[in-house]
Amino acid sequence: MKKQYALALALVAAGSGIAAMVLNMVHILPDWAYMGVLVIAFPLFVLGLGLYWMAREGEADIPFMGY
Amino acid sequence: MIAELLFATFFGLLLLGVHRKVIARIQRRPGPPVWQEILHMLKFSFKTTWVPKTASATLFVGVVLVAIGIWTAALFVVLSGGSLLILFAIYMLHKIVEHGFGLSSGSPYGKFGGVRSVISAASEIPLFVSVAAIAVFTHSLLISDIIAYQALNGPLLFTIPLAAVAMYVVLLSKMPFGPFSIVESKELVSGYKTEHFGLWRAGLEVCNGLKTYVLLLTFILVFVGSMPIWMILIGMLLIIISLSFVCALSPMLSPYDTVTVQTLIAGIMVAYVAVLGVMS
Repeated sequence: MKKQYALALALVAAGSGIAAMVLNMVHILPDWAYMGVLVIAFPLFVLGLGLYWMAREGEADIPFMGY
Repeated sequence: MIAELLFATFFGLLLLGVHRKVIARIQRRPGPPVWQEILHMLKFSFKTTWVPKTASATLFVGVVLVAIGIWTAALFVVLSGGSLLILFAIYMLHKIVEHGFGLSSGSPYGKFGGVRSVISAASEIPLFVSVAAIAVFTHSLLISDIIAYQALNGPLLFTIPLAAVAMYVVLLSKMPFGPFSIVESKELVSGYKTEHFGLWRAGLEVCNGLKTYVLLLTFILVFVGSMPIWMILIGMLLIIISLSFVCALSPMLSPYDTVTVQTLIAGIMVAYVAVLGVMS
């Protein structure tokens, strides 16, 4: 995945979570919906941020089969 | 909720670091610093990452997202005083996730780890029996109702101590380096997570932090009741230290012995709950 796509994924996920928090604070979004947004957005944020951070994408290899 | 989620992730990882440190000190090793698991998570985020040639790419990546998602949901179930049944459904999902981790990579070690995670589902049996014991007294499986019951009648830890012991065994079976940690046994390299490295392992570390926090928080809320947050955190620290002692002083059992011991505990618990049910 290209770095800019990964960053976009992390930002969209973080933005969704923060938007849900604000909407919940002004009583537009119920608690269950806020939690639902975070359940989906948090994993996407973690992976998006990691994909943006990571050193590089290596070439695929076969799994470790033992010594 | 975002603050609680981030706090739970980092505090859970810190508890796992304490776990490693205590085990090391008991074994007369210096051990890693207590924040090592947090550093691990960050370190893996910066490593080279790829999907193995033999892997099912969708499952290989998707299972990491599911792992973090289900424990995020579990945290919210506990914080909102939801049902223990939902929480234990998430436990079961975690078994499927571990299985998915193992099978998705195409590695023989991952596959064996995945199979062992299914075998270790025996560790959930004492959990169900301890839930039954709780239901006998509280007539509810909502965590909020269980907390309210304890506010009136005192901690369930003293009312049904054997149920607390059974739940403690469940906690023990989830801890790394423990007698029941057959899914991460060294003869399987890293078990189901052997091929999940780099960023994927960082995601798994986030899941482990959340899982540890949720399990310990649930134990305290269900068997001790509601307390100020600083007392809950100290309680979690004391439980993890006690678990570390057990892990450091007991050998890892074989898969068959693990299932046998946990089934025996479940049998004792069934008899205990039957007696409780007749007496109440």
